[in-house]
This record gives sequence, structure tokens and C-alpha cells, in this order.
Amino acid sequence: MKEGGKAAQPLRSEAQPSGERGGRARHAGGVPSTGGAGPGPAGIDTRVDLGGIALRNPVLTASGTFGYGTEFAPFLDLRRIGGFVAKSLTLEPRQGNPPPRIVETPAGMLNAIGLENVGVDAFLAEKLPALPEGVAVVASVFETEIDRYAEACKRLTGPPRVVGIEVNASCPHVKSGGIEFGQRAELLARLVRATRGATSLPLLVKLSPNVTDIAEMARVCEAEGADALSLVNTLQALDVDVETRRPALRNVLGGLSGPAIRPVALRMVFQASRAVRLPICGIGGIASAEDAIKFLLCGATAIQVGTANYLNPMAAVEIAEGIAEYAARHGFARVADIVGALELP
Amino acid sequence: MSGGVAPEQPDGARVLRADVEILANGVEGGANRRLALRLPAGWPGFAPGQFLMLSPGAVGAARRDDPLLPRPMAIYRVGEAGGGAPGLEVLYRVTGRGTALLSDARAGERVRIVGPLGHGFPPPDPGAEALLVGGGTGIASLFELARRAAPRARVRVLLGARTASDLMGRGDFERLDAGLDVATEDGSAGRRGLVTELLERSLHAEAVVYACGPTPMLRRVAALAHAARARAFVSLENTMACGFGVCLGCAVPCAAGGYALVCRAGPVFAADAVAWEGLP
Repeated sequence: MKEGGKAAQPLRSEAQPSGERGGRARHAGGVPSTGGAGPGPAGIDTRVDLGGIALRNPVLTASGTFGYGTEFAPFLDLRRIGGFVAKSLTLEPRQGNPPPRIVETPAGMLNAIGLENVGVDAFLAEKLPALPEGVAVVASVFETEIDRYAEACKRLTGPPRVVGIEVNASCPHVKSGGIEFGQRAELLARLVRATRGATSLPLLVKLSPNVTDIAEMARVCEAEGADALSLVNTLQALDVDVETRRPALRNVLGGLSGPAIRPVALRMVFQASRAVRLPICGIGGIASAEDAIKFLLCGATAIQVGTANYLNPMAAVEIAEGIAEYAARHGFARVADIVGALELP
Repeated sequence: MSGGVAPEQPDGARVLRADVEILANGVEGGANRRLALRLPAGWPGFAPGQFLMLSPGAVGAARRDDPLLPRPMAIYRVGEAGGGAPGLEVLYRVTGRGTALLSDARAGERVRIVGPLGHGFPPPDPGAEALLVGGGTGIASLFELARRAAPRARVRVLLGARTASDLMGRGDFERLDAGLDVATEDGSAGRRGLVTELLERSLHAEAVVYACGPTPMLRRVAALAHAARARAFVSLENTMACGFGVCLGCAVPCAAGGYALVCRAGPVFAADAVAWEGLP
């Protein structure tokens, strides 16, 4: 593990595609080999290392926007993206919320799906084996209690196809009056500690943007042994139908995603990357290679494509190719060299 | 009429994402529009009732983030467009920002499509009496079913709209070898009233009903069919972001409990499989 903080240092490339972060005992021998030449101009090394997950390129797809992977088989070769984060799993299957579940908003959309999912066991038994070989699968977990999060992590550790676990910290914690785990530092610390102890896989923590100080939350995760951070989740939001005088969503509140949130997400990635040495996976309204490169420049080692998958099911591959083209055009031998290469005034 | 350009394949065979050229995008009547698209290479054919996700407006050189989401639209038919080119037709109504942008798109520009998507209508048994009930823009989902079923079943088409100019595709239906009855709320065409009133008079236990239209209409169709002990299939509309089963936004409650996705399990459902009281 790298030493010292970098908060006071000027921004510069921090990502190392080799196993620099792989020295932790619990990762010994466990770094998955999902690398290999990525798409793009010959000679560009597109590989990145996301907290012990070796990715062939820095483009993943965000949880909840890519199903269980097989839904995209008609559109793209899953082996041409860096990897995908599967739909968030709970220990038991969940049916999700009553409709309406989504509504379009300016340059974005609101959703309150209610974490409809098949559950951990069906994911392992049915969804995972249906995927082609060579696809890096990050499992996402979501629960209502800390011990249940830990149990889900435990069950997902071991199957060869799962290369990492992303803990979705945006779940409301019932015992704390419905506040999200990721909204209170002390709760978040307990969550990361418990899930860290439950898995030897690389552990990503997906942070909620609905906080006052994202840097503080990032530091909490680093201190508790997370391997990487994913940010941001959706922004809590509301829309109203004035004709019916009802909230647009049955759940009243929803999560805002899409290009509307991109500048907010970029700001948070920038702040978090300066606060911790953990690699960061940037998420928030990324729909083009240009968008993705902004996140890399601001310190993200990798990115996740979310809502854009809905309108363009080939977006992730097109973005991966565009990043490599940008690297070639700007004289970066490695995509990893773009990370943190922002020129500040 | 449909030139049979594409083979009629079972649904679910293949899905394309393509940016396709607009061949025509004209006024059909009132706020209704008829869009003809160049058939993309590798088009796998479609089942009546399947749909496309269509970008809200032309795909231009400049990126557009708003409105963001593609719109689900029924495939009307695949037929001969201008110059004999195979055209993929969609009938739509200008109701909001997305469809207004779409109506501004000109021939020669391109729109993005993903499709064909979903499961269409099961064909009627040979010789059976099929009652096709279309309301408003829902009419567009029924044309290809009527066209394919007319030679082999006794097809009766019942169309309803607010006013005569809203009756999309009426001329095409008139040219089919099928019975046609029309109802308008203002009486400007056919009978004054609702299309479900036409259905009520024609319905019997041996008929099979196929319906697409607004939720209150479908709810009424389901109730009438249930009371008459007739089989009924309904094509549901819903807001959806993707159309292929990943956003999970288009869930509808099932009579057996739980939810089904309109895009993947539907859009066509057996009418008694839907928990109508739970539909918004």
C-alpha cells in the first residue's frame, strides 16, 4: 500500500497498471487476470488497475444499468469493455417498487426501482454461468443491515467469475431512521469494516453524493480498508406532475442520473481523489469518451457508464475506443497516464 | 401495402441498434405523424405488436442530452416507401418534447433505433373470429396483426379516437380484407362514443380480443372480455428508458403477484394476467 496522503500534493498521475496495490496479503495470488489488449489504436496500453482488479480498459458499466450482462449480448462483445458491475444484490430476491418507477427529467431521469433483483444465490447459480469467459464481473451488494451486507459479501467471495465486490452505501439504514449508510461517517465506517472482513476480493465502496463532505466519506473508506471508491451514486431528487398534483414517482423520492448530474459527480471525484490515495471509479452522466476523459483527468482510475447504456447499448465499447484514440492523439502511451493529468491554474 | 420485404420471423429473434435514414416524416392527420425509415441491414423481421426504441429527434452531429430518453413506439408495418425502397413505418402522435423534436426531423436525416423489441400478439387460430380494438395511438400496434391475420381468420377491427383526424392509419385498415368499425368521442367519424362500446356489442365467448390503447380503455376491454369469457390480449404502454429489460422502469403489477416488465414480458399480455387495479 502506498504511504502518506496526497491531499496537499499537486494532482498527478497516481494509477499504476501493474500490481502496485496487489501486495496486500489478502490479495496474494488473487489478482484476477482480466487484462489483455483493449480496443483502440495499436500501441496504446489501455489497462488499468482498480484496487487490485486488473481491467483491460478503464470502462465499466454501472450497477443497475447493465442488468446481469447477458441483456447486452445482442449489442456488444462484453469482453471489449473493462468489466461490468452487476445489478445490486440482496440476500433474498426483491420485487421492487410499484409503478411509476421512472420519469424523464431535464438531461436526465429519476428512478426509484426499489432494488428489484434475483438475490445472491440465483445470481451465482443462474446469472453468472450464463456469461462468456473473460468478462470481469464486479458484484454489487445492497442490504438493510450491516451483518446482512457482510453475509452477501461472504457468499459472493469464491466463485471464479467475480473479480471484486462493490458495496452500495446508498441504502437507507432502517435502525438509523432511514438515513443512507453513506450519509453518516460512523455508519459508513462500520459498513466498510464489516464488509472488508467478509471478503478477500477487492472491495469497492460506492459512495452517496447526498453528503456535505465527500472527502470525509472517502477518508473513512480508506481508513477501514476499502480498495477503491466508486462515485457517485444517484442524487436524491423529486419531480411532480402538476396536473394530478402527485409526485411523478410512486416512491415520491428518486435518484437522479444522466448528464444532468455530471458536473456534480466530476467535482466530487476531483475532491475525493485529492483526499485519498485509493483508486477511484468515476460515475455520473458519462455518455461519451470526452465525458470519461474528464473523469480520468480529475483523478478517476476507471469510470462507469450508467444511464447512457439505456439510450445507446453500445455506449461502453464506443467510450473505451474513444479513450484509446484520445490517448494516442495526446501522446499518452498508457491510458493510465491520463489519470490525474489535469492542469490546474 | 406491406410488400413482404422482410421475412416474418418469430419475435425475440434478433435486436439491432442502428442509425437509420428517414425516408419520410409527414402529417397523418391532426397531431399524428407517419415516419418511414430505411430498413437497416440485417433487419430480422418482426412480430405484430413488437416495438422500437426511437431517439427523440434526429441524430445530429451535435450531441443532444435533452430530452434524454428514447421513446418506445410500435412498429406499424414494413412496406414499400417512396421509390420502392423497403421502409419501416411508425405512426406517432406529437404529445411532448420528444415527439415534437421527432416531428421536426426531415427526410435524409437519421434517427437511432433499437429493435425489434418485446413479445408481440399470438396469431389467432385459423378461422377464428378476431376482434382488434385500437384506441388513439394504440391503433398503430394493430395494423400488422390485422394485415397478417385477415387472410386466415375472421378479422373485425374496431378503432376509436377523440376525433376523425386522430384515427391514424384508417385508410390502410380500410384496404384490408377485414371488417372495420369506427367510434369517435365527438361523433366526427363513425359512431359517437367509445370504442369499447363497439366491442361490447360484438363480443362473445368464441371471439379472441386484441387491444392496444390508453390504460382506461384496456382496463374496460379486460373487464368486458372477462365477463364474456373471451380470451383477450392487451398491448400495454409504459414509460421505459431502455426497452430491453435493464432499467426495470416499465414494471406492471401481475394478477399472480409481483411485477412484469412491459418491454420484456410484454408489451402484449393476456388481459387476465395484469393486476389492473395496480396500474397507474
